[in-house]
Amino acid sequence: MSFVVLVLAGLIVPLFYRQNIQVAKGIAVFAFGAAAFLIFNGHSLADYLDYFSITPSIKLMEFVLLLTLAAVSLSLTGFERPLISQMLFLSAVSLGLLETNNLFIFIVLFEAVAIISYILVSNIRNYYNAEGAIKAFIAGAVASGIILFGLALFSFVTPSFEYNQIRVEGKFTLIAVAIMLAGIFYKLTIVPMHGWAADAYAQVNHVAAAILSGVIKSVVMLATFNAFHRFLEFYPAMAVIIFSFFAILTMTLANFMALWQKRISKMLAYSSIAHSGYALIPFAAISSKFAYPGILYYAIAYIFMQTAVFLMLNELRVRAGIKYISHLKGLGKRSPLVALLFTIQIFSLAGIPLLAGFMSKAAAFYAGVDAGLWWLVLIALLNSALAVGYYVILIKNIYLDEPEESSTIEISYGALIGQLLLLGGTLYFGIIASNIFTSTMG
Amino acid sequence: MELLVIFGPIFFSFFVYFIFRNSPETTKYVALGWFVVLFFLSLNWYHQLPPEGYMVLGKYLSVPQFGFELTIKMDALSVAMLILTSALLVLVVLTSWEEKEQHIYMSLLIMFSGPIFGVFMTTNILWFFIFWELTLVPMLFLVGYWGAEERIYAAIKFFLYTHVFAMFMFVAFFMIFRQTGVWDFSDLAGKENLFKTPFLIWWLMFLGFAAKLPVFPFHTWLPDAHVQAPSSISVLLAGVLLKMGAYGLIRFTVELMPETTKHFAMVMLIIGIITTLFAGFLAIYERHIKKMVAYSSISHMGMVVVAISTVTYDGLSASLYEMIGHALVISPLFLIAGWLHHKTHTWYMDEMGGIMKKAPFVSAIFILAGMAALGLPGTMGFIGELTITISAVKAYGWWVAIVAVAGLISAGYIIWAVRRAIHGPMSPLVERTTFTMSFPEKLALAIYAILIVYFGVNPQPIFNLANQAFAFLGGN
Repeated sequence: MSFVVLVLAGLIVPLFYRQNIQVAKGIAVFAFGAAAFLIFNGHSLADYLDYFSITPSIKLMEFVLLLTLAAVSLSLTGFERPLISQMLFLSAVSLGLLETNNLFIFIVLFEAVAIISYILVSNIRNYYNAEGAIKAFIAGAVASGIILFGLALFSFVTPSFEYNQIRVEGKFTLIAVAIMLAGIFYKLTIVPMHGWAADAYAQVNHVAAAILSGVIKSVVMLATFNAFHRFLEFYPAMAVIIFSFFAILTMTLANFMALWQKRISKMLAYSSIAHSGYALIPFAAISSKFAYPGILYYAIAYIFMQTAVFLMLNELRVRAGIKYISHLKGLGKRSPLVALLFTIQIFSLAGIPLLAGFMSKAAAFYAGVDAGLWWLVLIALLNSALAVGYYVILIKNIYLDEPEESSTIEISYGALIGQLLLLGGTLYFGIIASNIFTSTMG
Repeated sequence: MELLVIFGPIFFSFFVYFIFRNSPETTKYVALGWFVVLFFLSLNWYHQLPPEGYMVLGKYLSVPQFGFELTIKMDALSVAMLILTSALLVLVVLTSWEEKEQHIYMSLLIMFSGPIFGVFMTTNILWFFIFWELTLVPMLFLVGYWGAEERIYAAIKFFLYTHVFAMFMFVAFFMIFRQTGVWDFSDLAGKENLFKTPFLIWWLMFLGFAAKLPVFPFHTWLPDAHVQAPSSISVLLAGVLLKMGAYGLIRFTVELMPETTKHFAMVMLIIGIITTLFAGFLAIYERHIKKMVAYSSISHMGMVVVAISTVTYDGLSASLYEMIGHALVISPLFLIAGWLHHKTHTWYMDEMGGIMKKAPFVSAIFILAGMAALGLPGTMGFIGELTITISAVKAYGWWVAIVAVAGLISAGYIIWAVRRAIHGPMSPLVERTTFTMSFPEKLALAIYAILIVYFGVNPQPIFNLANQAFAFLGGN
């Protein structure tokens, strides 16, 4: 039912958004709300179809996803309006991707998400947008090819695609799974498959980047964990070697690249890549019972903060032409409320306590220590301290430097409400951790 | 009530800012009122304390699957820190009476009071770390916005330095939970045999606390941060933030892992002695008045490490006394150094000279606090240094009396500073400067002076607290 509501809304919305964007936004928010209500009352895909099943933790992630997308659609303005219907389709497909218990359906829906993301980024206004969109498209196509190749190989050995009856042992399975994961790593922007993301996230319009780097990435993160954890559990030592190698590579390289960026969007793109590196730690720590809470917490916290910073960046760019870090100078004086909202989300990305970014890191990294990988966690923590180096430069420009312009920046009410919703998520999951652990560990 | 004390300031500071931004002068009364309430609340908790062990105030935000909750429990050591913190906060409001952009400044101070109380009030290791990290945020802005010329560099260096070293501590905290299954350090006291890799944990934690204290060779952030910070914030940095390091060292090494600490006691002792002497020599070399005070501050914290390394009742009581003494003695020195820079626009002592004639009250307080720093009998400095030397000699043998040389070195730089800046021929710069000081600032300096002498003559109240705090080490 929730799926149907979202798809229908996605079909209706294009009739309105040319004439009256407020109506379109209203329909979208209503549809997200209705979908959440239906899921809450037991009308999700899993209640109607085989191949889908739902757990409390997936439900929690779905609510978070719908809330985030509602916040995004509230803050849309101007030429991003086609994104509303694409977001409705995206949410419908993402619900399926999260709920599925069949590897074949997982791959199909994964491709569907990828196709929607190509449409999202093709909202092109200038040369830069086009470059980013083409990179995202080509990388995505390559990834799809690789994943399909892996799936084809896997279909030779497995008796069934159901997660419960899937074949997990054997060298051939291992090769097939490794190939599939390599494709998925493109979407998760793991180094060395990250090259497209640094450009795509920075150059497509910022709302699309918010959805691409925030929403899609966290959904894929969690769905991939659900799909692949059986393989990893069967070969825990292999999981440690592969995932800790990629985790260290990803976070270290991305953090060093982010340190010398001048464009805010590029810095946030690299920071997003670095966050994928941290998110691999629960995968490496698969033998710990805290791995699943860790990845769930990470996905939930990451969706709020990453979406919020890119949305705010979009507002700043539209209203005040802010593109480079030096343009942020004196933002705290020019517009205290905007600066405060932006700062809190940046602190959350940096892992400052009482915000979701800290607690999610604590949960994900504790899983690593629990699996005995304290050295990996130490490297990750030093990396996140390194990351504070570039986040604090943003803060410095916002508050400590003198403004170069004195004009104030006003953001629209819709954007403000959207930001407050996301801030609510960041604060709630920063202080109260019990939902996550109750939903995953009973 | 406990939750209000910790989380209230963090959230309400934003409202204070937005409500009072049109009448900035009001915020200092709000801040003053709140800190006075905190002070009396801490005194009240002191009176409620049981004669030994912890007082449980509440448990909140429980996550049973992760064994994680905000446990608010206090013993005499925590309450001693709370009283010191709240008293310093009251004095800090008085001494920043004429700071620019009061509404933001005071909101940040109010915000700071939340996590710093949290650090001393909770016994849950993860929450301890959360509050520990959170204190950095208001400090970043306070140093970076209100500081002197190089403030932004200093603020970011301070933030990154302490943050990086806190990460080592964080891994150690994870390992503690992994190996014991308990997040509450008060439940872990005396269960050292549960630790599977005690040496690794001890070193990771020691790195975190050592950078905060700071000890040689992790002290390089301190001269920058303390010099560039506005003087009232230097007081907070020296009086409260460095104490967090010492508090952590006592809680997590001495109480949690006494055997491992004894194993590495000699390392701690040597580091402490090197810090004390090295910082002392640097202070002699310094012409910059606030840097000299900053090095003197490091030197005193080195003595605290020496005292903690003994892991005896005597040593820890002495360290608690020296911690409080250091806060009360260094603070007026920082305040006056900053005030002199504010008035004369120079940092260098040889360009001052003859200040006694133009500003006798401030000069007198400077001399008094300086004498306390070099350990003149009748002041807090004397009792601190004496008890530390005695306890260290008792624990390690006569050669540790070398610690007392620190007193000689500090006599060198303090007396020379007094000679160059306060006395001596009046420099043309001082001649043409007008020295005025507002009443609240004078009041705060007078309170510092009274406390230095009062606890110097009558140290018993502090040792009573220490007696209660360290009874588990076999006190008397």
